[in-house]
Amino acid sequence: MPSDLQDKILKDLSNGTAWLVVLAIVAGSDEPAHGYEIGRRLADEAPEGLSFKQGTLYPMLRTMEAEGLVRSTLVPSTEGPARKCFTITAEGRRVLVVWVDAWKRTGRWMNRIIGGIDGNR
Amino acid sequence: MATADPVAEYLSQLQRALIGVDAAVAHDALVDAEAHLRAAIKAGKSPAAAIEAFGPAADFARAYAGAPAPDHHAATEVAGSTHPAASVASGPDASSGALAALSRIPLVGVWFHPRAWSSLFYFLAPCFLISLATFVWVVCVGSLALGTLPILIGLPLAVFLLGSVRVIALAEGKVVEFLLGVRMPHRVQPVQVLTPIGGVAEVGFWQRIGCWLTDVRSWLSLAWALGNFFVATGLFCIFVVLGALVLVMVAVPLAQAAGMTDIRVDGEWRDVQFLWERVTPDADGHVRISAVTSVLSIVLGMALATATLWLALGAGWVYAQVVKAIQVTRPQAVARRFTVIS
Repeated sequence: MPSDLQDKILKDLSNGTAWLVVLAIVAGSDEPAHGYEIGRRLADEAPEGLSFKQGTLYPMLRTMEAEGLVRSTLVPSTEGPARKCFTITAEGRRVLVVWVDAWKRTGRWMNRIIGGIDGNR
Repeated sequence: MATADPVAEYLSQLQRALIGVDAAVAHDALVDAEAHLRAAIKAGKSPAAAIEAFGPAADFARAYAGAPAPDHHAATEVAGSTHPAASVASGPDASSGALAALSRIPLVGVWFHPRAWSSLFYFLAPCFLISLATFVWVVCVGSLALGTLPILIGLPLAVFLLGSVRVIALAEGKVVEFLLGVRMPHRVQPVQVLTPIGGVAEVGFWQRIGCWLTDVRSWLSLAWALGNFFVATGLFCIFVVLGALVLVMVAVPLAQAAGMTDIRVDGEWRDVQFLWERVTPDADGHVRISAVTSVLSIVLGMALATATLWLALGAGWVYAQVVKAIQVTRPQAVARRFTVIS
């Protein structure tokens, strides 16, 4: 496979899944999540082969905020300016359930089709 | 010689990549990028590694410019916070729900557009009052400062006036943001600078005064404080007159039809002119408007009210853009800026 196409597919896969992952990280956070923490988890816990530039996170959060899925709050910090942190909204939780369901169904579908393929052969 | 700050260099690149993007969006992008990179460095990453993980400035700028602004969902600001990034326009908007659908009806949809009503309210009360108070303040303190300039007392007074005008402009910006729906990110001011030997120093009192004096927005705010009085008064008069006309054209025929008003003329008056109809009072001086004139008056009044709302919406947008142009300029090249306050 030409490397350009391979890169494109991996990039599309990263971008497509990042939305769900970001919303899930915000939803799973006990406290309002700071952008850096979300980005760190997004990048550090990404599977091998998929890379996330942490800068892509902010336009995503901005879009999610515009759509009412997350809400930004300012959390005072003793070490500097207040930090902009994100919490999920009720609408965000509803959308997350829809996305997770879609992802699970997509996963099952993918596994049925590619489950028999061994990548090492 | 000052050490080059990789984050500042990255932010300068980002600023160049954001040329042509809306000033408020550019401001948010720069603030988000800087906050992230500083947090990464604080967490132990090297500046180079933090920038590498963040991604190219051009890609970030492109993605950020394409993301919709969260201008219709309020960010909750904590008391006393000065973070510039989470300041978003909140307040009335017709972004979703049944109201949004109704507001998209051609022409008359403006009746269901909350921003039109909030703009109308803004021009009828806060705009006029703020501009009047600011004008009086600037004229009084400015005159005092000019008058006492020869004995040097005027100098600190003039600086005080400049500072106060910046605060007033900031407060006005928040009102504009809420009622007219245009984001006004906080001003950016340096609080730390690089020293000649490469260290970091807090911005002192005199440096802050220097920032005020060299910031073009201080002088623009001062000019706006004087000029806005005439703009605000003009808009106030226009909307009061239009409102009064609408009230007369709609309410009087309705009230008369319902028997709620008794229009009566005394004295030497022979005829009364209501719109195009010349009405002759009866023997007791009572005036009755004809049914045709009443209906046409109500129709025209409603049309004028619709036009007034459109005018308020349009004037609100233009007014907010002017305030934004004065208050929200792109953050300066950040080669000497470490962090921001409002």
